[in-house]
Amino acid sequence: MPEIFINGQAIEARDDQTVMEVAREHGHFIPYFCWHPQLSVVGNCRMCLVEVEGRGLDIACNMPVAKGMQVFTNSEEVQAHRKAILQFITLNHPVDCGICDKAGECTLQDYHYEYSGQRSLSHDEKVRSTKFYNLSNRILLDNERCILCLRCTRFTHEVSKSMALGVERRGDISNIRPVEDRPLSEDPYSDNIVDICPVGALLSRQFLHKSRVWFLQPTPSVCPGCARGCTVQIWHRKPEWKLKALDPRQNENIARVTPLDNPAVNGPWICNKGRDLAQMFERARADEPMLKGRPVAVPAALDEARRLIGAARHPVALVSNWGSNEELEAFKDKLGEVFHCFVKQDWQPQPGERIEDDLLIRGDKNPNTTRARELFGHAEPDFKDGTDLVLVWGEGFDFAGLPPRARIIFLNSYLQPENGHADVFLPVSIQTERHGHYTNFRGTVSAFEPCFEKKPGVLHAEDLIKALAAPARGHP
Amino acid sequence: MTTPRKPHVRRQYWNEPTMGWWERSYLLEVARGLAITGGVFLRNMGKWMTGRKGALTAYYPEEIRADYAAGNRGKHILTQRPDGRPQCVACNMCATVCPAQVIEIDAAFDPDDPAHPKYPSRFEIDYSRCVFCGFCVEACPEDAIRMVKETPDLPGFDRDRMWLGKEELLNWQPHADVAKPYPVRTVAEPGRSPDA
Repeated sequence: MPEIFINGQAIEARDDQTVMEVAREHGHFIPYFCWHPQLSVVGNCRMCLVEVEGRGLDIACNMPVAKGMQVFTNSEEVQAHRKAILQFITLNHPVDCGICDKAGECTLQDYHYEYSGQRSLSHDEKVRSTKFYNLSNRILLDNERCILCLRCTRFTHEVSKSMALGVERRGDISNIRPVEDRPLSEDPYSDNIVDICPVGALLSRQFLHKSRVWFLQPTPSVCPGCARGCTVQIWHRKPEWKLKALDPRQNENIARVTPLDNPAVNGPWICNKGRDLAQMFERARADEPMLKGRPVAVPAALDEARRLIGAARHPVALVSNWGSNEELEAFKDKLGEVFHCFVKQDWQPQPGERIEDDLLIRGDKNPNTTRARELFGHAEPDFKDGTDLVLVWGEGFDFAGLPPRARIIFLNSYLQPENGHADVFLPVSIQTERHGHYTNFRGTVSAFEPCFEKKPGVLHAEDLIKALAAPARGHP
Repeated sequence: MTTPRKPHVRRQYWNEPTMGWWERSYLLEVARGLAITGGVFLRNMGKWMTGRKGALTAYYPEEIRADYAAGNRGKHILTQRPDGRPQCVACNMCATVCPAQVIEIDAAFDPDDPAHPKYPSRFEIDYSRCVFCGFCVEACPEDAIRMVKETPDLPGFDRDRMWLGKEELLNWQPHADVAKPYPVRTVAEPGRSPDA
């Protein structure tokens, strides 16, 4: 346990730590571009220079701790060298922050204002390079903005293991390029390189010029794409920047999804499916209750559902494994004794999708199978003779598999042909409209928050379950 | 030892009205006032009936004042590149700085022009809320938005119709611009050659 001093503060460090790690743990910020807590150390940006007494300047990210070393992270010499390094890094950077999607959350921009603030000292023309190089169907590369920190190449070599990116040539004409025969489009984690890029060189096509980031706010949520349950940030327009003349859907659509750093579940990464949550949640929504396809008001539909439940002799419920812990517990508590309950798999793996791997992706493409199985058992849905009422909660179930004479109560969020075939159809809210928790396959519970308001005809499943239960017990 | 405080007396900023017997008789003064307004009214009406213009009234919105100061901050315009496309790069600086939050811009990507890959596909200003502060003009890094001295002139009964879009804002066609070469006019004016 060597004792080191950072800016005069005595710190007990572990033998295997670097000065960068120790400083971060104890709240001494050292700026960096190429260093990343989850990637190997290359030390090529030189931004994390610190002064060590008796040894001069060196980079903190690659400096093992030694007993009694005196480190200064903000001495005058360090400040002067940081300024020079920022001059060097921006030597060929186009400084087109006005049209760069990274502006507002760009490390280079932040450090420039924090540590330099100088104009470029160079009189030479900037080196021109490829703009908007097509890396994959998801990502564009702007080589002029790139500062060659190599985080993206290290990510594809060390984390996603697709080895899809490399560097060609040297000096100021050096470029990041895809490796032949290893297309980045086949890397299911490729979009993480957009997040870890410290500048705006790697651009997400989905988010390209969609919005400036300061008009958006993140809401913590959980990716429902598989049983891993990665914690994510869902970015949507701030209410104070609500658009009035442009397409109003921009106010209630997901602008982008980024990972929420969570060492217990996903670390700082998520897969590309998590980035595409908008496609899943922004399908056409059902917003009106129906009786056999005829639109009715919510109380009328609830009354009819209660009547069916009261009259049924052998009711069966297919419980959604997309329900939150709270909803599933409410169902068990309020309706668990009324219905014979089975867990239903709402979502199956799609063609072309990666089924399972060692990093994050799990084979079960539903978020809350663990809690649903804990509450309702592992049995497959089974309709015995005499099943006269089936409550189907959630999508992805073929009504052809139901007993022919059973009445159907259907709870679904999306506009689907089955909605009209149910005796009672009740629209329920989706994850971006409610609070809740999911339990992932390891039993870790993560919370999600609402991003948007639900429509008036739509009900939260928890409220709906309580409304269905109350009189059903009174009039058996 | 504390000195006793004097009670605060509020200063009086007005004079007490003083009226002579003429004013106090009331009806006579009312008649005099009616004579003044009636005289002005009849004089203006006489001018109007004989085809001359009476009072200094601009018949808005059919008439617009001609005497705006050169530096008046009126309607916004979007400047153009020499090829006629908007100078604006949709950076949203104006929308961000706007204290009334009246500017809304939709950006689009143009891969064919690597020097200007981002351009506004829609650019909307709400004149029912604009406070004409000119911050947008100051914030613009591209000299793409300016304010001309004429007012936007959007009288109406509906706030939702007081928006101006990109097409209207790009209508500005100066004969010459001190800042940059301006697009060649497509419609030739009488007495002006198209490439003048």
